[in-house]
Amino acid sequence: MEEVVVKERSMVDQAKLKLALVMGVGLLTLFIFLMISWALGAVDIPFYETLGHMWNIIVNFGPEHGNPMEHIIWSRMIRSVAIIGVGIGLSVSGVVMQALIRNPLVDPYVTGISSGAALGATLSLLAGISIVSLAEFTTPVAAFIGAIAAFFVTMSLAEATGGRSMNYVLSGVIVGIAISSFTTIIIVFSEDQALHGALFWLYGSFSYISSTEALLTILPVMVLSLVLLLYAKELNVVLLGDEHARHLGLDVKRFKTLSILIVSVLTGVSVAFCGIIGFLGLIVPHSARMLVGGDHRLLIPASMVLGANVLLVADIFARILFRPMELPIGAIISMVGAPFFIYLLIKRGKEYGG
Amino acid sequence: MAAESTVSLLIDGIRFGYNGSDLLNDVQFEIRSGELIGLIGPNGSGKSTLLRLMNGILKPRRGTIFMEGQDLNKLKIDEIARICANVPTEFNEDFNLSVQELVALGRYPFSKGMWWDSREDEGLVVEAMKKYGVEHLRNRRFSELSSGEGQRVLLAKAMVQCPRIMLVDEPSAHLDLRYKLEVMEHLRDMLSGNVTIVIASHDLNLLAKYCDKVMILSRGKIVAMGTPEEVITPEIVADVYGVDVAVIKDGDNIFAIPRRTRRDKDDR
Repeated sequence: MEEVVVKERSMVDQAKLKLALVMGVGLLTLFIFLMISWALGAVDIPFYETLGHMWNIIVNFGPEHGNPMEHIIWSRMIRSVAIIGVGIGLSVSGVVMQALIRNPLVDPYVTGISSGAALGATLSLLAGISIVSLAEFTTPVAAFIGAIAAFFVTMSLAEATGGRSMNYVLSGVIVGIAISSFTTIIIVFSEDQALHGALFWLYGSFSYISSTEALLTILPVMVLSLVLLLYAKELNVVLLGDEHARHLGLDVKRFKTLSILIVSVLTGVSVAFCGIIGFLGLIVPHSARMLVGGDHRLLIPASMVLGANVLLVADIFARILFRPMELPIGAIISMVGAPFFIYLLIKRGKEYGG
Repeated sequence: MAAESTVSLLIDGIRFGYNGSDLLNDVQFEIRSGELIGLIGPNGSGKSTLLRLMNGILKPRRGTIFMEGQDLNKLKIDEIARICANVPTEFNEDFNLSVQELVALGRYPFSKGMWWDSREDEGLVVEAMKKYGVEHLRNRRFSELSSGEGQRVLLAKAMVQCPRIMLVDEPSAHLDLRYKLEVMEHLRDMLSGNVTIVIASHDLNLLAKYCDKVMILSRGKIVAMGTPEEVITPEIVADVYGVDVAVIKDGDNIFAIPRRTRRDKDDR
């Protein structure tokens, strides 16, 4: 009986149902992980107390003065907002990059964007290059510029070498290695104190994030992700390949240029304040694709909630695994991500040999 | 054919080549609406290139192409997409798109501004999947299909585009005997809606059986165009392919049966 009803539902209704389900479950687990994330850490706070404090903080627009518990929770809340922002940003970047390059093996890390951002950030942190008017935002702006520059180098190199799927992966790897060598040299010549900060940045860290920075991460990420979501149908068409997409009346060149620009900015914003988190843009889109299929109208929202969940969980582990010591969150994701990437290469790599 | 038939495609003296050399040199012909046209020619004669010129992907170096009376250069690509659908020979997809999702993309030229597909779009998609016998595969991934199934999905995708002109590149390459005939019969059915179809193929006999007219592309020119009986003759085939054939009649159908290659025509 149930089955008959399901069969009669239209494709769009099925898609909407799937979307609602994924969003519902995703937001529910996100809420649970947020609670855990706010309660656990170097200091554990019981859940019901966390809820109470959280309520006070929301009602008072900030923590009560002189209440240490509320200050701890407040800082964890700020942190989690940034984490959700970065989780969404890197995942959506991954999804869109994969569609544009037509290769499920690329993400901001593989295409060298993150390395570019790292070089920018390291330059500003260690080489003492600072732009006066930007002051505290020098590092994020430098990271941002580095990200966009690296992406364009990778894209040009890949196009020049034939523009096939594998060219993008290889170009990204080469650009990434080349840029990383500069970063390493800068680190070697730097002083110990600044070094610690740089290393934290290189493996991603949310430790010193301010509320302004958290907002400057999540707001642009949400706006840009929603813009890309508006173009979900076009991204589906792009999957068909350039010529085929043009047959369907899509101005591929213009669309790709525009979306590559948006994706670079999205990646830049995602890594600017908290550093590099590799492979997230690879794991999340792939898992989301297994969950909801290839239609970007479902895939982008699914990647958004999944990305936020995954990074939040990784952060919880980063904080409680060896507490009070905190692990770099990027290292945790990479520990899962690298084997995942290898698995993808073995399982599907042959198809992208051309 | 129909009394009110008009000119669908007018190819007026086009010249085209890659890297400076001329692949097509003064190609000239017209196709009337509601006709099924077969395009044949040896490997490398420029059949696919000609198709890509006819849908505006490539621009001719000289000459003009008129699509339904309008200069193709002046049409925007989304305007072309609402007139003309393409079925490519080969197509890869690795992104978990389902058959139904892929066929639905054919509606894109008509539903650009809308985020979800409308009921009418969906009706067309289901109808096309039924027609090409891929409805039972609707939730399967395109990448898992056999090449014959994939070919039929691509034809269904072109059908939901409700084209008035259809350009099909080698539709029978991966199809078994039965589906070859079925696909050609479906394409013939579409003609009743006054659709113009151009099919490039190596299968002389298949084209001879179903096409109203056949044209042969060779050495950068259309060397012959007419009914299959007029075009598929031992003389023309020998000249173009360098192969001796026997042309046999079976009722209304003609068949070219290859006998031997011509030694003196090695560099046709």
